[in-house]
Amino acid sequence: MTRLKVNNSDHEVEAEPDMPLLWVLRDLLGLKGAKYACGIGQCGACTVLVDGVAQRSCVLPLSAVGDQPVITIEGLGGNALHPLQRAWIEHQVPQCGYCQAGQIMQAAALLQESPQPTDEEIDGAMAGNLCRCGTYLRIRAAIRQASSTMGGRRA
Amino acid sequence: MNADAKAALHFSRRGFVGASGALVVALSVKPLARAATVPAGRPLTAFLEIGRDGRVRLWSPTTEMGQGTHTAHAMIIAEELGVPLSSVQVETAHPADPFRRNGNMSSGGSWGVRAWATPLRNAAASARAVLIEEAAAKFGLAPAGIDIVGGEARQRSRRLASIGDLAEGAAKRPLPEKPALRAEGARTLVGAKVDRLDIPAKVMGAPVYAFDMDLPGMVVACARLSPVFGAEVDHVDDRAALKVPGVERVVPLPGGSAVVARHHWAAMKGAEALRLRFKPTAHNRLGSDAISESMKAALSATPSAPTKHLGEAFDAAWDSAASRIEADYEVPYLAHTPLEPWNAAVRFNADGSLEVWAPTQAQDRLLGAITEASGLPPQKVLIHTTWLGGGFGRRLRDVEGIRDAVLVAKAVGKPVHFFWTREDEIGQGWYRPAQMARMKAALDKEGRLTGLWVRTAGPSMVMDFAAPATPIKEGGLDATSVQSLADTRYAFPNYRLDYVMRRQPVPTAPWRAVGSTQNGYFLECFLDEIARAAGADPYQFRRTLLADNPRALRVLDMVAERAGWGTALAPGRARGIAFVESYGSLCAEVVEASLQDGRPRVHKVTVVLDCGAIVSRDGALSQMEGGVVQGLSAALGEEVRIVRGQAENRNLDTYQLLRMPDAPTVIDCHILESGEAMGGVGEPPLPPAAPALVNALFALTGKPIRRLPILKA
Repeated sequence: MTRLKVNNSDHEVEAEPDMPLLWVLRDLLGLKGAKYACGIGQCGACTVLVDGVAQRSCVLPLSAVGDQPVITIEGLGGNALHPLQRAWIEHQVPQCGYCQAGQIMQAAALLQESPQPTDEEIDGAMAGNLCRCGTYLRIRAAIRQASSTMGGRRA
Repeated sequence: MNADAKAALHFSRRGFVGASGALVVALSVKPLARAATVPAGRPLTAFLEIGRDGRVRLWSPTTEMGQGTHTAHAMIIAEELGVPLSSVQVETAHPADPFRRNGNMSSGGSWGVRAWATPLRNAAASARAVLIEEAAAKFGLAPAGIDIVGGEARQRSRRLASIGDLAEGAAKRPLPEKPALRAEGARTLVGAKVDRLDIPAKVMGAPVYAFDMDLPGMVVACARLSPVFGAEVDHVDDRAALKVPGVERVVPLPGGSAVVARHHWAAMKGAEALRLRFKPTAHNRLGSDAISESMKAALSATPSAPTKHLGEAFDAAWDSAASRIEADYEVPYLAHTPLEPWNAAVRFNADGSLEVWAPTQAQDRLLGAITEASGLPPQKVLIHTTWLGGGFGRRLRDVEGIRDAVLVAKAVGKPVHFFWTREDEIGQGWYRPAQMARMKAALDKEGRLTGLWVRTAGPSMVMDFAAPATPIKEGGLDATSVQSLADTRYAFPNYRLDYVMRRQPVPTAPWRAVGSTQNGYFLECFLDEIARAAGADPYQFRRTLLADNPRALRVLDMVAERAGWGTALAPGRARGIAFVESYGSLCAEVVEASLQDGRPRVHKVTVVLDCGAIVSRDGALSQMEGGVVQGLSAALGEEVRIVRGQAENRNLDTYQLLRMPDAPTVIDCHILESGEAMGGVGEPPLPPAAPALVNALFALTGKPIRRLPILKA
C-alpha cells in the first residue's frame, strides 16, 4: 500500500510503483479531472500540482510522488471556485473543455511562481498545454484577469 | 407513437428521468396532433419535456463538442417558451426520426444551429400555446391575456401557476398547427452574449466525458491495432501481455487485439506488451513521396472529371495571353487530433438491452455498427452521446471503434470501457486528404485576368468515407475536392475547373471545413500570385473579381477596412488577405505577420463572418477564434507523414499542433448579420486563415509558399 496526499486528504492506494499518478488519480481515487490525451507528457491535459510544481501526471510514476502534496482541479479552489476558475467562466474559455483542467492547473503553477506574469512568461509557461479548439487567446486573458484578482497587475 | 417509443426501455441514466405526467412536445416541422404524456421509461422520440417541477429538458438533435449548439438550442427554447435559461437542461437525443435530416442523425456541416433553429422555436411556441390554454381553462380567463414568463403562466403581473403545475393538463391538449411566435423585438436571448451551459462543469473538472465513465463492475480494454492501414492480423502472442499485473484477458479484434484489465494503466501496459504480427499488404512500402508523385502525375493526366466550369475558351485565352502564371500547390494529410481519443463505455443489460456511452457526431452510423456487432435490433440499443473532447469531424465515423468495443463487451460479459491510445487515434487514419492543385492564369496586357484553369488531384474523401458504398463512378467528380471552387462568387472569365481522382489506401474523412481547407489555400494564394504578376493590390484585385457580388464585396471591404489594409505597418510586417465561402457563410480574413528567425509570427487576424444571422453571439465569436487557430495550426506545422504504409508521426510530439506561443496576439472578430439565410459558424472561419497567413508572408518575402506546412519537419 502506498500513502498519498491528494487535495488535502490522505489516501492509501494499492498500485504498482510505476503506475503513473494520472491513473492513480483517475482509476484508484476517482478523480477524473486530469485527462489522458497523449500519455507521453506532450500535451499537458494531465497536469496536476505536486508540491506546488506543475507535473505531467501521465509520465510521473507513483513512486516519485512520495509524501509530496498533490493538488488536482477538483481541489484547486477548496470549497469555492479558484480565481482562475472564475476567470475561466467569465471569459467563457472552454470549448470542448478536455484540455482545460490541465490548462488551469498549469496556470495556477505559473501564478504561484510569478503572480504578475508578462505576456511572454504566460506563453512560455503554457507552451506545454495544447488546445485543439484554439482557446489560447481566452486562456491568456483569463490568466491576466486572475492575476489581477489575486493581487497581481491590472488585467 | 412509433415502434421505438412503444418499445421504450426502462433504464437508469445520469440526470433526471422524465417524470410521469410531463408534457412532451415533438420537435418537427409537422407537430404531433396531440402532445404525449411520458411514461416512466422515456419514449425515445421525446424532444421537449416539461416536468412537474417546471424544469425543461431538451433532447437536442446535435452533439455538443464545444461548438455550443446545446446552449444555442437552450436559448431558443428558453426565449420562445418563456422560461429562465437556467431551467433548461440539454442532452443529445438517441437517434430517432424527428432528430434526423435526410434519414440520418449527425452533427456536421455546420448545420447544428441553422438546421434546427426554426423547428426548435416552433416546438417551444407549441408548448407555450398549450400551457397557456391550460392556464386559461383552469383559471377561467381568455388565453389572449396570458403569457409564460420566467417559467410561470401570468396574466400581466398576476401569477397564475408554474408551468410544472400546468404540464399534465397541457399534455392532453392538441398542439397548434402553426404556433404563434414571439415578436422579434421581444427577443432578449437570441443574438445576445449568453454564458454556455456546459462551461462550469468543464472548469470544475467534472467527469463529463465518455473517457470519465465509471460503471459498476466495469473493466477496461485498451486496443492495439495495425499501424499499416487495413492490414489483417496474422498472429497474436499475448503471453507477455497476460503476465502484466491487473490484465485479465486478451480479446482478438479484426484489426488487432484488445487487452482487458482492471484499470487503464494495466490495459495500456498489456497492450504495449502484445506481440502482433500483421499480414503484408500491397502498400507496405507506400510513402508520402509516392503519393505526391501520383498526384503530380494526375495533374497532367487525361481524362479528368469536369465540373460545370468547362472553360471552353480557356485554351484560346492562354495561347493569346500577354502573360501566363502557372503553379502547382500541395497539401498533406491532416489528422483531426481531438484531445479525447476514441473510447466508449458499453454495457449489456440483464433485460437484453445494450447501452453505449460514446463521444459521437454520427448517432445513426454508430447505431448501425452497434446493431451489426451485437446482433441486437435497434430498439434494444440506447446511445448516450457524451460531450465530446473534440470532434472536428473525426467522430463522424467510428465504425471499427464501436464494433470493437461491442465485441469486447460481448466477450467479457461485463461493462467495458474500451479505448484507443493516442497512437491509434492518429494512426488509424480518416484524415483530411492530401491534395494537389495545378493552376494556370492568363492575363492580358492590362493585367486583367482573361482565363483561369484550376485542376485538383488526389484521394476521394467521399469515396473513402462512404465505403463500402461507391457513390462516385470511376473517374468521377468528388465534390469536396472542388469545394469552394465550383460555387465561387469570383467572376473568373473562361474558368475551367476539373479534378482527377487518385485513391490511396490511406482512409480519409471530413476534417473541419473539409475541401474548403485545401481549396481555400490553393485559390487564395494563387490569386495573390496573379495579382503580383498583374501589378495589382491583392484586395483590389479581388474587388474587381467580385464587382457583381454586393454581398461578397461587403465582407471583403469590411475586413480590409477593419484591418487597416493599405495603412502603414511596423517594419518587418506585412498583411495578407483571403476570402472563402463555405457552409452558407462568407468569411474574409486579414493576417498581419512578420518573420522572426525564419518562423512566422502572427500579430493580428481580422475576421469578418457573414453568417446571415446568429443565435449565440459568443458562440459565433468562439468558433471564429478557434477556426482561425486551427487554420493557422494546419498552415504552420501539421502533416501526417506516410512511411511504409503507415502514419509515421502518431503522437503529439511529432504531429505538430499550434501551441500558445504561436497563437496570434489579437484576433479581431466581426459578425455581419446580413439578414440572408442563416449560415454556419463552426467551419466557415477556418479556411481563410492559412491563405491569409501565406499571403502575408508572400508580401513580406516575395516568395510564394506552394506547399504546407510552412515549417516542414
